This record gives sequence, C-alpha cells and structure tokens, in this order.
Amino acid sequence: MGLLRTPFRQAIAILAVAYALIEFGIPYIPPLFGVASAKIPNTVVLQYLLTVTVGILIWVSDNERRWTEFKKPIHEVLVRPDRKLARGVLLVGVPLLMAFVAYGRALPDMSAPPSFRAIHPAPPSSIPFQGEIIELTGLENPLRSVGSLDEHYEEGKRVYYQNCIACHGDALRGLGHYAPGFNPTPLNFQDVGTIAQLTESFVFWRIAQGGPGLPNEGAPWNSAMPAWENFLTADEIWSVIIFLYEQTGHEPRRWEELEAAEGTEAEGS
Amino acid sequence: MRIALPWPCDARVAAACLAVALSAVALVPTSVAAQVDGEALYVKWCAGCHGEDGTGNGVAANTMLPRPRDFTLALYQVRTTATGELPTDADILKVIDEGMPGTAMPGWVDVLSQEERLALVDHLKTYSRFFQGDAPEPLEFSSATRGTDEAIVSGQEVYQSVECWRCHGQQGRGDGESAPTLEDDAGFPILAADLTENWTFNGGGTVEEIYRVLRTGLDGTPMPTFSDIVDAGVITDEQLWGLAHYVRSLSPEETPEVREVVSAKRITDGTVPETVGDEAWEAVEPIYVPLVGQIVVKPRWFNPRVGGVWVQALHDGQELALLVSWTDPSLSPDPTWADFAQRVIEIMGPGDEGAATAAGAPDQLVVQFPTALSDGMERPYFLQGDPRRPTNTWTWRSDAPDAVESIARGLGTAVPQPDGEQHVTAVVQHAEGEWKVLFRRSLDTGGAEDLVLPVGQAVPMAFQAWDGDNGESGNQGAVSTWYFLFLEQPTPVSVYVAPPIVLVLTLLFGLLAIRQAQWEATGAGARVARLPAFRLTKAVERAFGMGVGLAWLGMAAAAYRSASLGWDAGHSDLGFWWTVIAALMAIAGLSAMIGTFIHTLPRDEGR
Amino acid sequence: MIDRLWKARGVAVITALLLAVGCGGEGGGSDASGGGDSGPAASPVDAATAGHASGMVTFSGMAPANAEIDMSTEDVCAAKHSMTPTQETVVVGDGGGLANVFVYVKEGLESLDFPTPTQAVVLDQDGCEYTPHVLGVQTGQDYTLKNSDGILHNINASPTENRGFNVSQPVVMETNRSFPTAEIMVPLICNVHGWMNAYIGVVDHPYFSVTGPDGSASLQGLPPGDYVVEAWHELYGTLTQNITIVTGETAELSFEFNADMSAAHVPLGDPIDPMHPESHRTVDHQ
Repeated sequence: MGLLRTPFRQAIAILAVAYALIEFGIPYIPPLFGVASAKIPNTVVLQYLLTVTVGILIWVSDNERRWTEFKKPIHEVLVRPDRKLARGVLLVGVPLLMAFVAYGRALPDMSAPPSFRAIHPAPPSSIPFQGEIIELTGLENPLRSVGSLDEHYEEGKRVYYQNCIACHGDALRGLGHYAPGFNPTPLNFQDVGTIAQLTESFVFWRIAQGGPGLPNEGAPWNSAMPAWENFLTADEIWSVIIFLYEQTGHEPRRWEELEAAEGTEAEGS
Repeated sequence: MRIALPWPCDARVAAACLAVALSAVALVPTSVAAQVDGEALYVKWCAGCHGEDGTGNGVAANTMLPRPRDFTLALYQVRTTATGELPTDADILKVIDEGMPGTAMPGWVDVLSQEERLALVDHLKTYSRFFQGDAPEPLEFSSATRGTDEAIVSGQEVYQSVECWRCHGQQGRGDGESAPTLEDDAGFPILAADLTENWTFNGGGTVEEIYRVLRTGLDGTPMPTFSDIVDAGVITDEQLWGLAHYVRSLSPEETPEVREVVSAKRITDGTVPETVGDEAWEAVEPIYVPLVGQIVVKPRWFNPRVGGVWVQALHDGQELALLVSWTDPSLSPDPTWADFAQRVIEIMGPGDEGAATAAGAPDQLVVQFPTALSDGMERPYFLQGDPRRPTNTWTWRSDAPDAVESIARGLGTAVPQPDGEQHVTAVVQHAEGEWKVLFRRSLDTGGAEDLVLPVGQAVPMAFQAWDGDNGESGNQGAVSTWYFLFLEQPTPVSVYVAPPIVLVLTLLFGLLAIRQAQWEATGAGARVARLPAFRLTKAVERAFGMGVGLAWLGMAAAAYRSASLGWDAGHSDLGFWWTVIAALMAIAGLSAMIGTFIHTLPRDEGR
Repeated sequence: MIDRLWKARGVAVITALLLAVGCGGEGGGSDASGGGDSGPAASPVDAATAGHASGMVTFSGMAPANAEIDMSTEDVCAAKHSMTPTQETVVVGDGGGLANVFVYVKEGLESLDFPTPTQAVVLDQDGCEYTPHVLGVQTGQDYTLKNSDGILHNINASPTENRGFNVSQPVVMETNRSFPTAEIMVPLICNVHGWMNAYIGVVDHPYFSVTGPDGSASLQGLPPGDYVVEAWHELYGTLTQNITIVTGETAELSFEFNADMSAAHVPLGDPIDPMHPESHRTVDHQ
C-alpha cells in the first residue's frame, strides 16, 4: 500500500477506480447477477466524474495537513529542479491538448439539428374516430366490463401479431425487426415509463390516431406509428390494449386514481 | 476410522451424508427447470408466429418471409450437426438466445431466464418424434485459419470452383442465375443470401459462423452442406476456411452504424462527378440508410427487398451529386424473375385493399426533401409529406429514361413538375446485382417549389425504394424516416486561428504558474508564504458555504429536469442515471449547507 | 438353403435382364427385384414355396404434355440432349403403359424381417436429369448419388418419416446415403436446376418395382399369402389391389391410372414441382 500513501496518489486512485466503475462496472457487473444493464452515455460519465472530483477535493481540503500534503507533489513538480522533465512535459502537453480541444470546437458542426419532442403530449378531451366523436376524459376500456378477459386477450394477441410486432417486437420492447429503420424508435411497452403511466383512453388515442394525430410538440412528421383507425375497429383497438397490459403485466392508470391524486395534469407525464 | 466432522459420525455415514447432500444439490437445477412450464411460455411468447401447434402457422405468419419455423418437421437451419441431423440442445438454445439475423426472429436472452429458455428448448422438441431418439452428435470443426490475403484469394477460387455463384452471383449479391427459382422446403420463394450484408446472414455473419454453415448447410433451405466434398477430397478443410474468409470479406468489416447525417464534401478544384464510376467517389465514405417495409398506409408491404441504401454525396458550390447504391439482383421487370415476383405477391399478407395482384413493376428509387425549410423543427410527414407541408421528390424508375422531379403531399400523390421545372438528372448502372443511381441538381434551381439546398446547414432527406421483381409497386415498397444532408462549407478560418491562440495562452498561464510557485518557494516568496494565512470572517465563510450548497441544489434541480426529460422520452436508463446524479448533487448541496452551518457556529477558540 | 437362395437370385437377375430389355434401357426398369441381392444375411423367405405377381400399369385418356426444360444456360447438359428435354411427370409408352410408377407390397409382410442388401443402387445426375426418375431402395440400403455432369448439383431430399438432407456436388463425384425408415415417397430436388426432381420409395422388404414405359411391374419370390399391393404415381396418386400368392404361380397385377385423377391427393411430403407452383401446399397456408 506504499503506493497509496500520499493524498495526491489516493485522489488519483479514487478517480481511476470511479472511472472504471462508471464506464465498465455499470454495464458489465449487473449482468453477472442476471440484471440487465447497458453502457451509460458519455455526458453522464462526465457528470459522475465531476461529482467524484468535487467530492475528492472536499475530502482532501477538509483537513489542513492533508491539503498541504495533497498539494505537495503538485508544488514539487512546479519548483524542484529534479522535476524539470515532468515540468517540461506538462508545459508542452497541456497547451497542445487544449489546442486540440479548441480545434475540435472550431470545426463546423455537421450534426443533425436537435429534435425535441414530447413523448406523451397532453391528450385532447375528445377525438374523432371513424366518423364519430369519442370522449376520452373519464373513458375506461369498455371491453373490461363485457365478455371474458381471456377472449379479449386472444383477440388482442391476434391484432398485435398481425399488425404491431414488426416494430414493437415479440417481447413488446420496441425492438421488432423494423425498429432499426425508425427514428424515433418504437415505444417499449415493458418500460415502466410508458403504458404503465397511462390510462387506457390515452393509449386508445395514440393507437387510433398514430403519428399523424400527434400535436406539433410530438413531432408528428417523424413518427411512423400508423393511424390505426384506418385499419382496425374500436373493439380491436380496445382488445389489443388489453393484450398490451396483460402481456407486460402492467396495470393501466384509472381515472379514479387520477382524480384522487388531484393534480389532474398527470396525464402529460 | 473417524474423520473430522462437526457431529459424531463414522466415514461410512459421512459418505452417505455427502451423497445425500450432493444429490440434493444436483437435483436443484432440474427441479427449478421442472417448475418452468415450457408450453405456457411457448403459448405466450412464440405461438403468435410459430402457431400453437408448432407448424409455423401463427397469426403473424403471412406477414413474414421467410416464414416462421415449422417445428413439426424438426428441420433447423442453425446446427453444429451434419445435414439431415437434428440440432443439439445448445444449437436450439443459441437461436432462441440470439435470434435469426435477417428474419423476424428476435433474441430472447434478455427477455427470458435461462431456465425459461431451456424449458422452451425442451418444449420445441416435443413437436417432433425425431427428438425421441439418441441425442445428435455435433460435427468436429477445425479451428479457424488466419484470414490472410492468400486465404481470401484461395477462398475466391473455391467460390468459383464449387460454383457458389450459381445462386449467390459473381459478386455475392444473390443474383446468380438459379436465384429466381429458389424455394425452401415448404415451397416458399427464398432469396439467395446477399453476401455483402453479413449482418443479415441467417446463420450468423462471423467467419466461424460462415464456416459452420458451409459444413452443415442450412437444412430446409436450398443451401447445401459442403462437408461431403471435403470428405471426398475435392477441396481441403483449409480451402473451406478460405471460402469462409472470402465470403466474410465481401461485407464491410463492421456492421454499418445508422448515422443521421450524410455529409457532402465540397469539391474546390472542378465540378461534381458525372458518372457512377468516377474515381472521386472512392474517397467519399458511403453512409448506410436502413429501409423497412412501408406498413403505415394501405396497402402495406411486409416483405421489402431493399434493406438499406448506401448514400454518398459531393457538391461544388453550384451543383449537388448524390450517389445511391443498393443490392437488387435483377433489373426489373426481368422475365426470369416473373414467377418469383408473382409467388411473393400471392403469399404475402395482409391483403390490404389496393394491394398489387400482378408482378411486372419496375425498380424505383425516391429521394425526398421538404419543398422549404422551416425555422423550427417542423418538417413534412416522412412519407412524402402531407397536404400542409409538401415534399419535393426525385423519382427514378428502371423503365424510364430520366429522373422526375415532383411535388408530393403524401405517399403516392406525387405530381410531376412541369417540363420547364425539371432540374434533376439521373445516371444509372445495374451490374452484378447492384443498382447505382447518381442524381445531380443545382443547389439553387430558381424553381418556386424547389428547395434551395443551403450550404452549412443540415437538410432533411428521406428515401424510398422498390424492387419490382420482389412484387413491389405503388405504396408497397421500402421506406426510411428522415435523415439529413449536410453540404460542407469551405473550412472556416476559426479552425486554424483558434488553436494557436489557445496554445499560446495556456503556455503563458503554465509558465506564470511555475514562476509564481518558484518565487514563493525561494527568498521573498518563502517569507510571504510564512505570513499568517488570510482568514475570512465567520459570516463571509458561512455565506460562501451556503452559496456553494445552494449552487449544488440548483444543479441537482437541473439534473432532475434532465431525468424527467429522459423518462418522458422513453429512455428510462437515461432517466434513471440522471435521477441518481440529481440525488448525489442534492446530498452534496445539503451536506455543504449543514457542514457550513456546523463549522461556523460561534464557539470557544480554546483549541 | 444356400442353393435356394442362389436360385432365387438367378430368377431375379433374369427377370431384371428381361425387364431391362423390355424397357429399351430407358432408365426405367430399375431394380425389379429390389434388394434381390440379399448379401450375407439370410432371407426369411423359402424360395421353393414362393409365388410371384406381375402385370401392367396403364394409363387411359389423354396424357398431358410434359413441360419442356430450357437448358440453354447449361451448355454441359444441353449437349447431352439431342431433343428438347422435358419433365418426366407423365411418361406413357406406346402400348399405354405408364412409366415411373412405384409398385410395392404395402401390407402382408409385416411379420417378416428382410436382410439389408449390401449392394448400393445408383441415382445418377446426368444431363441435368435424375436417372432413374423414380428409384426404389430397401430401408438401410445404400444408394449412390452420382454426379456425371461435373457442374454444381445439390441434392435436397425432403422426406417426412426420415431425416432430410441437402448435399452439394460441384464436380464429378459420388455420395452414399441411406434411409432407415420405410417411406412412400421421398422427393429429391436440385435447387441449382429447378427442373430436376426425383422420388425414392423406401420399403423394408425387397418386393417393389418401378415401371418403365411398357408399364410392366413384377414382384418375384413372395411367400404364399394375401397381400395389398399399391401403385404410386407422382401426379396421379395411388391405387391399391389385393392379391393372393400361391406357391409357384404368378398372380396378376393390373393398375389403371387416368387423367381425371390428377386432382387426387399426392401422398407425399408434398412434392415440390417448380413447373407447377400452383400445386404447392403453400396455397392453403393461411
């Protein structure tokens, strides 16, 4: 442990371990225990490392002696005659690095323009559906009160497999074989942030009117979601909604819950 | 004899105890597997395509080509066993885990547990009595040879001598003369694999996987085994490895990443190339744009032939040259493919009204732009626009002499612009199963409804492609969503000015820091350094500490906002990590405030 | 015992020769006595008490014309044909005999175990055609897939009772295979040459025969008893006939196919006939 005796080296070591954990630990360790994980985006890595760095600085400066010791190697590089080589390397290397960063910044930005869109925009209170007006506010899935759930599930399964799997996939994760061809990618119904947060009437609206029925903030020009009212009956849509919830094990939000929760704009999230 | 055990026990009893314990351990996995109901899993996740009876006739089957596997025949493409042999359990599990590239079969490794997937393997085997016999023996595969240039050249010779080109074509694009007649064992038309797209190989695209397919064949398809000719000494095993390396070399080294922007370099010495074979194109990186079936408006098409197009662009400040290349085995309509196209039309669902009934259509390519750029993010609908926001489409057809520029307000509504307003030219080439179409147009045509292509700004661009000999026409083809075309500017001066300035400034700062430190360490500096440290008053310290804490809290709030944006965008992973950041920042902020509060409390200075 | 065996074999060989002459060597005749060459293991049949069955398979009505094959892209094969080659779907001889019919004992031999012949029969790919077009083998008996053309053929077999296979033969070469289970019939195709197809009948006894254009079929050396004999044709399906074998006598076989039977179900792993795609079972998928 002699290597880690000085606070400066300890700080470097903590930073290195933190980087390794964030960059490689997060994507690769949970799978060892059967938990799915993925690489985290570079911007997030940067944020984490900044946070760790600030933490380290707070720690080394917390105590006067440690702070002095921490600064010692830095100070030595700046002053001691026998550290001339290191000094020289830093004096050349750091400016070159900064110049390189500046060059990268100055290059013209050839990336696509940013595209922001609300995934779950506020729904209208009523929608036209195949020539009729359907009141969405307070609307529950009518099939839940008639017939057998199993039959609705089976019918929904047929509708889903004949129409939806190409994009939303067999596992309902939005990873159908057409998914790579779309931007934005198809919705992942297994995700707790999608249908589990929505009422069935909202889902009905999204299915019935699809991409073209989105308000402008939803970027209707990009979505490849068809307007299913051109393909399916209302009952088929309601049964595919039952299928989505049954197959994923999610529960739809109910209007009573929303009313009980008071802040009724919850629909927008 | 006694052995050390925590309880009194002689060796025989100990052995018995150990045996019982071991068998209990051994039993655990089986009992776990037995708890998983493979049939129920199959019905829930597989039957939609493969059918509850395992015949591959699920409700989704007629939107897929190749059709879902019929398990009752026990014919499996991906095996480590000889042709005609059953797959091993590991073979079946591999396909369940990883899916079948190039088909609708997804991988389940992230969806179902190991026990569940093993239970599915067991269940699939119940569909055929063949599995009641002895377990199949996998073939012994030699280890891979090195993919040297010589290996690839020898593989190319084998490709010629064993006549792979009869189906796969001379350049491997599935355009061999036998290709139009191919059928799988169930009688469905099947394409010879396009060997230039290894990410779509049913058996996998690595050299090892290609070698395995050469050894085992893809049972149930026209792809035979080549093990027999190695056994008969017609070619050596090493040559077969060479063939695998050669086939692998026909595809890009990496599976193309989807990138949003096609960048057009500016030619400064001359004008844009006017032929598809111009050597200027060799220096332009092709960008892969994936295409998928048009399944948004009627009549839908679930069997697109064109899985993607390669796009290259150049401009000279006056004119744009856009080169689009893609695999297409035939110049449609080709009479030798007429039966194939007709069969595809007959068997593909879902039979929307307006669906094509007769083959004989040409190949087509459409490149689409908005007619005008909006200030915001607003764009026309990605399928050739909408009534409010039209698109300018450049259409090329294999049965017409030149490209046609049209205004479209939705898929299939294109109206050609008047003759005087046609500004796009197309030069085309069909060779060795590949189309190359070169569009050229002035950046500014002066036409009222033509988009002025701006330099230095990303312009929305989308593609649609049809293969007539795959039964495609009308709305039934392959489409992309919006991509971007970026016409590069001459490099701005700042690119060359900023770095030296930054370099000099940093250098000066570094020198200054060193001088300062050295001055402090010697003579006068040392004396100054020994002076009592400048001390802030408690009040200032407290204000400063609280300020830092508040800043942290502010950043936490910003992070939380990023988190909720992530959640909303359906990126729950992003949302999660930003939430963690927000929590950490909030903790840091609160700690700073609490710490400041405690440290600045008035107290005895006795210590 | 050995003597009798040799006698039986002699009868078989002579019959085969006669048939071959009768067929004018037109690839038909096949191995009339099937696995008459019974090798080292002993046949359970006492040749001294055996009887025979023989007769005709005929076709009545207008035979449909066989589709012509365009071999213009395949010089090696085209050169081997003096006339435009055609499919061998319905081959009717001058005397009204229907060729390529597989005639075999379907029922009546269940209690007997026959030795596996050691001699392989040959299925040749010559001039981009399978010769013979219909072949009979015993279970476990080797058959040799032979490529006489020296260009790429693949042999893609799709049985239902046995395991299928798909092997490539890019040069002049031979590959031996066998089927362990009786199956009527195993279709074989070449995917490289979509017109090439053949059928293999696999039975667990030596009593089968493939007709030539003269339509004659002969089952030699059957033990006395009652049998069901079936005649199979790739387009017209099957006909059956009950016969009784008496020692030393020859029972008469007579099958008559006609053009109206073409809609009949073909009891096969659904033959894949590239020239008649509409006959595929794919039509009633979904």
